[in-house]
Amino acid sequence: MNAPLDLKNQYAHAVLPQTSSDEFARQEFVKSLKFHLASEVSLGNRDAFEGRAARQFAKAEGRAPETMQDVRKAMQDDPYFRFWSALQRNSQEMMWKAAQLPVERQLGDLIAKAEGAGACGSLRLDPDLPVPRYHAAVDIHCMPGGYHTEFVPGDLANGAVYDRAVYIYAMGRMGPLNSDIGDTTIAYLKQHHPDFKPRRILDMGCTVGHSTTPYVDAYPDAEVYAIDVGAPVLRYAHARAQSLGKPIHFSQQNAESTDFEDGFFDLIVSHILVHETSNQAIRRIMRECHRLLAGGGIVVHAETPPYRDLPAYDAFMLDWDTRNNNEPFWGASHELKAEVIAAETGFDPAEAFEAYQPSAFEAEEARRTKVFQGGDFGGGGAWWLWGARK
Amino acid sequence: MSDRIELQKKAKGQRPEYFADPAIEKTLSITMALAGEVAVMRDRLDTIERLLEAGGPVSRSAIDAYIPSPAVRAERDAWRDEFLGNVLRIVHQEREELQQAAAARPYEDVVRQVESAE
Repeated sequence: MNAPLDLKNQYAHAVLPQTSSDEFARQEFVKSLKFHLASEVSLGNRDAFEGRAARQFAKAEGRAPETMQDVRKAMQDDPYFRFWSALQRNSQEMMWKAAQLPVERQLGDLIAKAEGAGACGSLRLDPDLPVPRYHAAVDIHCMPGGYHTEFVPGDLANGAVYDRAVYIYAMGRMGPLNSDIGDTTIAYLKQHHPDFKPRRILDMGCTVGHSTTPYVDAYPDAEVYAIDVGAPVLRYAHARAQSLGKPIHFSQQNAESTDFEDGFFDLIVSHILVHETSNQAIRRIMRECHRLLAGGGIVVHAETPPYRDLPAYDAFMLDWDTRNNNEPFWGASHELKAEVIAAETGFDPAEAFEAYQPSAFEAEEARRTKVFQGGDFGGGGAWWLWGARK
Repeated sequence: MSDRIELQKKAKGQRPEYFADPAIEKTLSITMALAGEVAVMRDRLDTIERLLEAGGPVSRSAIDAYIPSPAVRAERDAWRDEFLGNVLRIVHQEREELQQAAAARPYEDVVRQVESAE
C-alpha cells in the first residue's frame, strides 16, 4: 500500500467490516460521546476533587490527600466522579455494541473473504491451547467474548469488532491503521539503535496486528512473527496483513511459553500487552523472552506511563480502567520497574531501560487532550517503553 | 449477504454499580442509547436535506449510499458536540458549580487578606 493515507478515516483493508450509513452514524456518535466526555466532562473530576472531595478528606483525616490511594479514598464516593464513571462505562459498552452490529450482519462474508485471501505470510492455529486464566476470568476492556471466544466455525468476529472499536476508542488518534504504538516503538529503536538489524522479530500479544505490520516496512530484511492466544483475532490479523501485503507469520501461542527455538529472535516487542497479563505471567514472559533472544537481542514493551511518574490525581484517573473497564492487571502493571523485572528474569539489570517516546502519529492533533486518563489513554501524546537487552 | 449472527451481549465480569438503585444504572444506559439513536436519525435527516439541496434523487438507496465529505463530517461532529452539551446539561451545570467552589478561597483567607497591611 503506497497511496497516501487518508488521515481522517480508518484504512479500508479487505476485511474491515463495512458500515451502512446508520451503522456509521452510530459509531460516529460513540466517538463524539467519548470525545465530549474526555474534553468536557472528565476534566470536571479535578474540580470535584479540589472543590469538594479533597476538602472533605482533609476535614475527616486532618491532612490533605497526598497519594493515589488518598485520592481514591477522597473521590470514590464523589457524586460527580460516580456519574462520569457511569457515563464512561456506558460509552465503552456502546462502543462495543456499535462495532458489533455491522459484524453480526456480515460475519459470513468476512470469513469467506479471509479464507479466500492469497498466500502472504502464514497462520498456525492450536485449538488445544488453554486460554490463560487472566483472559478467561473477565472479558478484557469489556469486549464481550474477549479475544478468544469463537461464535461460529472459522470465526474472526472479535478481530473485526476489535479493529473497528480501537479506531473509535482512540478517536482516530492512533492513525488510519491503528498502528501508532508500533510506529512509536520503531521510532525509539531507530533513534537509539540505528545500526540494529534484527534477522527475526516477534510481536507478542499481536491481536489483529495493528502494531505488527509496521515492522515489515521498518526492517525489510527481517522475518516478522506474531503470536496471540485468541484464534479469532489471529484469523483476522492474517487476512488483514494479507490485504495490506505484509508477510507475517502468525501463530496461536501463549507468550509465557512458545515453541520457537532458543535464540531464534533478535527483537521481541509487545504493544499494550503487559497490562493484560498478570504479575506471574509478565515474569514468565520475560524469562521466555530471555530464552528466545539471541545475544545482543532486545525486548521492548510499550505501555502507558507508570504511576510513580504521575501526580497522585493523574495516577488515580489513569487507574480508572482497573476497576471500571475489566482491566484487572492495569493498576499493578503500572507499578512494574524494568530493572527489577530484568534482574528476576535472567537479564542484566544494567541492560534494562525505561523511556518515553513521543507518539509517531501527528496529524490534526489540536483535538488531543494531552493527558493520560481513564477511558482515553491514547491521548497522552507519548508511549512508555521498557525492556532489556540480552 | 450472509445470515445474521448474534454476538455475545455482555462482557464477562461483574459490572460496577455506580448508583444506589440498579434501576438508575439501566435508566442512564437507556437514556444514552436513545441520545445515540437521535444522533443517528439526525445524520439521516441531514443526508436527506443535502441530497434535496443537490437536486438529485432522494431514495432509500441514495440515502444509504451517501458518504459524507470531510467538511460534512466536521459539521456533524460539531453538531453532536453541541447536542451532547444540551443532553448533558445537568452534568455541565454541576461542573460549573464545582469549578467555582474549587476557585473560591476559604472565607477566612479573604478576611485575613483585607485585615492585613497590604
